[in-house]
Amino acid sequence: MDPATRLDQNHELSLKEFPYIIRWRDDRCTRCGRCTAVCPVSAIEAAPHVHRRVFSEGTVPSPKAQREIVHVVRQVTDIDRYCTGCGSCTLVCPNEAIEPEYNPRHKFLTYKNRGGVPFRRGGRRNDPAPSTIDQLKFTRISMLTDPALDAGRHEFRIRTLLGRNLPPEQLPLKARGGRLVVSKSGGFIPPVREIYPIRIGSMSIGALSPHMWEGLAMGVAYLNEVEGMPVVMCTGEGGIPPRLLKSRFAKYFILQIASGYFGWDEIVHAIPEMSEDPAAIEIKYGQGAKPGDGGLLMAYKVLKLIARIRGVPEFVDLASPPTHQTKYSIEEAVAKMIQSMSMAWGFRVPVYPKISGTKTAMAVLNNLARNPYAGALCIDGEDGGTGAAYNVSMDKMGHPIASNIRDCYLDLVAQGKQNELPLIAAGGMGKTGNLAANAAAMIMLGASAVDTGKYIMQAAAWCFGDERNRCNLCNTGRCPRGITTQDPKLYRRLDPDRVAERVVEVFKAADVELRKIFAPLGRSTELPIGMSDALGAADSEIAERLQISHVV
Amino acid sequence: MVIYGNINGERVSSRELEEKIQAAVRKGERSLTIHADGQHGIGGRIWPQGRKVKVTVDGPVGQRLGSMGMPGTEILVKGSASDDVGWINCGARITVLGDVTNGAHNAGAQGILYVQGGGGARCDTMTKFNPRFEPLQSWYFRDVGDSFAEFKAGGIAVVCGVDPRNPDNVLGYRPCVGMVGGAIYFRGPIQGFSENDVKLTELSGADWSWLTANIKPYLKAIDRMDHLKMLTGDRGHWRKLTVLTAAEKEVRRGFKMSTSQFREQVWEPEVGEGGIFSEYINHPRTILPYITTGGDRRFRPVWYNDKYLPPCAYACPSRIPSNKRAALIRQGRLEEALALVLEYSPFPATVCGQVCPNLCMDACTRGLFVDRPHDIRKMGSLSLEVPAPRKARSTGKRVAVIGGGPGGLSTAWQLGLRGHQVDLYEAAAKLGGKMELAIPRERLPQEVLQKELSRFAEIGVDVHLNTKVNRKLFGKIYREHDIIVAASGAHEARLIRFPGWEDVTPGIEFLKAVNFGEPEDLKGQKVVVIGAGNVGMDIACQAWNLGAARVTAVDIQPPASFGKERELAESRGTSIAWPRVAERYDAKKRKLYFKDGSSMEADKVIISIGEAPVLDFLPPGMDIERGYLVVGSAGQTSDAKVFAVGDATRPGLITNAIGQGRITAEAVHNLLMEVDIVPEMKQVIPYDRIRTVYYEGGSPDLIPTPELAGDMRATGVPEPGVRVEGSTDLEPPDLPGRGVVEPSAEQSVIPGEARDLAARQATAAAAPELEARTCMSCGLCRDCGMCQAVCYYGAISRIEEGGEWEYVVDDEKCIGCGFCAGTCPCGVWEMVENV
Repeated sequence: MDPATRLDQNHELSLKEFPYIIRWRDDRCTRCGRCTAVCPVSAIEAAPHVHRRVFSEGTVPSPKAQREIVHVVRQVTDIDRYCTGCGSCTLVCPNEAIEPEYNPRHKFLTYKNRGGVPFRRGGRRNDPAPSTIDQLKFTRISMLTDPALDAGRHEFRIRTLLGRNLPPEQLPLKARGGRLVVSKSGGFIPPVREIYPIRIGSMSIGALSPHMWEGLAMGVAYLNEVEGMPVVMCTGEGGIPPRLLKSRFAKYFILQIASGYFGWDEIVHAIPEMSEDPAAIEIKYGQGAKPGDGGLLMAYKVLKLIARIRGVPEFVDLASPPTHQTKYSIEEAVAKMIQSMSMAWGFRVPVYPKISGTKTAMAVLNNLARNPYAGALCIDGEDGGTGAAYNVSMDKMGHPIASNIRDCYLDLVAQGKQNELPLIAAGGMGKTGNLAANAAAMIMLGASAVDTGKYIMQAAAWCFGDERNRCNLCNTGRCPRGITTQDPKLYRRLDPDRVAERVVEVFKAADVELRKIFAPLGRSTELPIGMSDALGAADSEIAERLQISHVV
Repeated sequence: MVIYGNINGERVSSRELEEKIQAAVRKGERSLTIHADGQHGIGGRIWPQGRKVKVTVDGPVGQRLGSMGMPGTEILVKGSASDDVGWINCGARITVLGDVTNGAHNAGAQGILYVQGGGGARCDTMTKFNPRFEPLQSWYFRDVGDSFAEFKAGGIAVVCGVDPRNPDNVLGYRPCVGMVGGAIYFRGPIQGFSENDVKLTELSGADWSWLTANIKPYLKAIDRMDHLKMLTGDRGHWRKLTVLTAAEKEVRRGFKMSTSQFREQVWEPEVGEGGIFSEYINHPRTILPYITTGGDRRFRPVWYNDKYLPPCAYACPSRIPSNKRAALIRQGRLEEALALVLEYSPFPATVCGQVCPNLCMDACTRGLFVDRPHDIRKMGSLSLEVPAPRKARSTGKRVAVIGGGPGGLSTAWQLGLRGHQVDLYEAAAKLGGKMELAIPRERLPQEVLQKELSRFAEIGVDVHLNTKVNRKLFGKIYREHDIIVAASGAHEARLIRFPGWEDVTPGIEFLKAVNFGEPEDLKGQKVVVIGAGNVGMDIACQAWNLGAARVTAVDIQPPASFGKERELAESRGTSIAWPRVAERYDAKKRKLYFKDGSSMEADKVIISIGEAPVLDFLPPGMDIERGYLVVGSAGQTSDAKVFAVGDATRPGLITNAIGQGRITAEAVHNLLMEVDIVPEMKQVIPYDRIRTVYYEGGSPDLIPTPELAGDMRATGVPEPGVRVEGSTDLEPPDLPGRGVVEPSAEQSVIPGEARDLAARQATAAAAPELEARTCMSCGLCRDCGMCQAVCYYGAISRIEEGGEWEYVVDDEKCIGCGFCAGTCPCGVWEMVENV
């Protein structure tokens, strides 16, 4: 039995401690219960309240009391049911009677470690301040200097190359009769794909709901087949449905292999039946959102669908350890993984590793530069998103992407290998809605392409999440939008066709914005990779660190 | 007039040439021949004051010939022209007997451009529309270059496509980007155009009439009338580009095909019907709204009536369901209510009503959160006169119970009611065990105990008094019975063998002597009781009763006594001292010495630090630990035929022994009847499930009518079984010191102390109906209909059958909001995951 003292307020939190406080308006509420029915965390509930009014009638003091019990919608003070501010209640309320309000003075993290379990969540780094990338401006506007282009009028071909671009002298090619032919002595021509420079970053089946994942995949196929935009998407580590793998759409997908090796037996079985090679193979060594930590798909998310595609039993915790089990050094890890994955498709598919943003990125880069089979290096910065991580990993660990990419690019420049080994920047692209600007800035700092994950989720699926810890329920399986849940009751809220439509809209819009940025540089066909003289920053320290103009 | 652009081999600057032309026109010259030498803007900006000015140009012309040309100006170029011919043309007619290069008629607004050859890139771009004037015309005989008609806003361009330089494409690469007005007639093949801006159509009749009419002056001007027939022979050779309407653009803006079409026509034909995951999922592919009913709800309410134990029953070792008793009384089923308790304990009046510390009331939700507990003590007393329930049909099974104390009696009671033949063996001359032997009569009136013991005769338990079971007799009993339940209690006083212990009286002996009417006279004596537990308190009281001058209880630890025993003892003047560890007793000096060096005067020392079971009647080999029989949760011992309950297994309260007896009896019954029943293990309802705000301490509806209050004063103690007619509709009373209270929601303000708790408490028990109202019915539906009333969707209804009611949910109406669960006063509704 509960000791009575437990029900006292002695150890109860006050609402003031909570990050979101429900503003409920008695005068507007019809008590229809839609808000409580929809709240993903049961942070609100119906409860009886007592109203007691004392009044006096007549000409002498004659106190009387009126007592009334009314039913209200109340926010609970149980930290395990804290209001995440998602606003589902506001969404469904017919009378605008309820909304969560951010409480800037909350003490949430002070208490959110019940049972000795640190706060875990989804989303990305909770830091609403503008990121470095968002502080970069495009300051080279050609009107009469470079051949100025009109983003609306001129045709642009915004493309990038994924895969190793060896210099001509290193390719086993000879000119014969005015034509290039492969020299008889043989030799390796690394596979290269021409893709759109904004990619959809790795988000696994399992982390995402089937409706969300299929919506993204359909959007990508649409962009390729209808819009002619060669956008590719990484599967994340969760396998890929055989139906997609065997389809011609497989070429729009980058298959990811990570430390859990989930889904790979199914993929290997399907290789002989594949009609197209995948766009690339990404070997995941790290993730920007939770550097140094692995993935964990909670058992309750491992339904039949996930279990089959991943090749595991149902309802078991699926850990992707922080490290690959049989790799002990950069040399070994990179060499043997790249070799293995290249062999799987007869060296026809670019293979590259993805690491989390880190001070040690250049060590990895230099190793890759010496490996002719390495197709690229993807670096995922601290602002990357995730479906589940410890808050401390998300908020406090990782490396910003801007200087990481810049250092790596300049390192390649010093070796004369810029553009030979493409750098792919990830983590926080589009964090504040400026996807194209962020992408362009990263490209000018030296990236050949960028990945967007969390942003496309927000933009394509009406995700509530923000950097004030709003929602961030991705890890709980109770995503109110149906994005990161395996519960059909929730994910059936999300229409895959609408997701696909938004993906197309987002990419088309970003494409226009990229043109707007590239046109004044006179660039319509060549990406301005490393064209850092077009960048400026008002912050002198940023400018100095990134070796770009300081503009005020 | 002839104007030279080159005089004596020296080129005249554009400025000078312009000045000469303007001066000539000002002087009235209306026909100019200009031998140009690359000068800029020849022939433009001439205002001929309503007349015509003819400008014939030969030689190389510069850019922007005829720019800002005005109506009335007619320019004839005898050869090709450079870029931007007719730039911002405002009405001049310009004829070029050759090609025009890039940007012809760029930003042209009015006027005519006749080109005998072809056009370069970006011709007819940025042309304008002005309703005050005739539209611009641009005629190209051959073809035009790339980016034709970009941002064209008005005017008509005609591309005749005769002998084109690019035979595959007479309009060049990507014409009409941003075109918003005007039209293009063309003849010949093209390779695409800006589909976001213009559409390709056939020529209408009006188009054709315009074209055939206006082509004649054009062909004349460029001296190509020989082509008239070819160009006007077949309307079908011509096509037209016109701008999309706003509505047409709106349709085109977003999507070439909808994503749903893409799914149907592209995606699923390739990956398979139902999409990439369909082989793993079995739900419909429809999209769900946020608010759902039926199987699509996330949670659904369940009317879990009586699923949980109320705190009172959970706290009660005998598990007496006081909430059900109160509910029956509220329904006017008083007899049933009072009889219900007998299913759990044969001693509701004796134990609940008298000697029990009433753990139930300590746990009562009302007591903890509203005002004072539901008076279960008084409720227990009400069952005193209730006859024994009817005994079940005889099973023919024989059970022996050794010991006639609370544990043994409880076991015998339960087994007897179930129809078993019970032999009860009691060493003493009377039944009741410690209730009879050791509890002071003032705490337990003999009449009450005897009255309740009399029920045992009603159910036919064979009681063998004065029968001390020894090992030999046990053997006999063991052979003659199917099951033996040892309930022999703990009757051997624990002693501390310090020097002088022989002069110390064991407490149990002292108490037994009192209850058997053979007490010592303690008049004027100083009594020390070693052990300040509840038995110690009882001893202290008895010592006072026997005339003691001073009673002190000592203990080595904080006294374990509590409740009524402690209160009573202290009210008599008993002092308690601790920590005191007795070291020796000097009977001669009448002094008890303690280890801390202190001492206490003691004419009599009684030790009460507990009793140990006497188990020597059991055969050797039984599992005994630290003096107690080792038993399982249902009283099983190491001998499958022997069970044990009560103090023989562990020290406890009377109610513990009664509860153990009931549980053991159930197990024995199931064993005898060979039924495999797992006893129901109910959990307790959490306090926060009970909505206590519905209740107010001191509510007037708990206060009896004056008549009832008068009854109470007259009789003092309620008569069990009194039924108060009509008491469920009690009017609030008019008590002294309070205003007149309307029988409405309004009530007078009662100052805290005047809430008259005492009166209410006293009177409540006078009318069971009133006291029953104080029970908040934890976990048990009180049939108030709150859920029905609160449900916005009318999803809850009450159904009644055979006097039993139930609340049911219509799943097709319910959205799973949990309002029923949130507002249920009793915590009966519960939201469960809807799987």
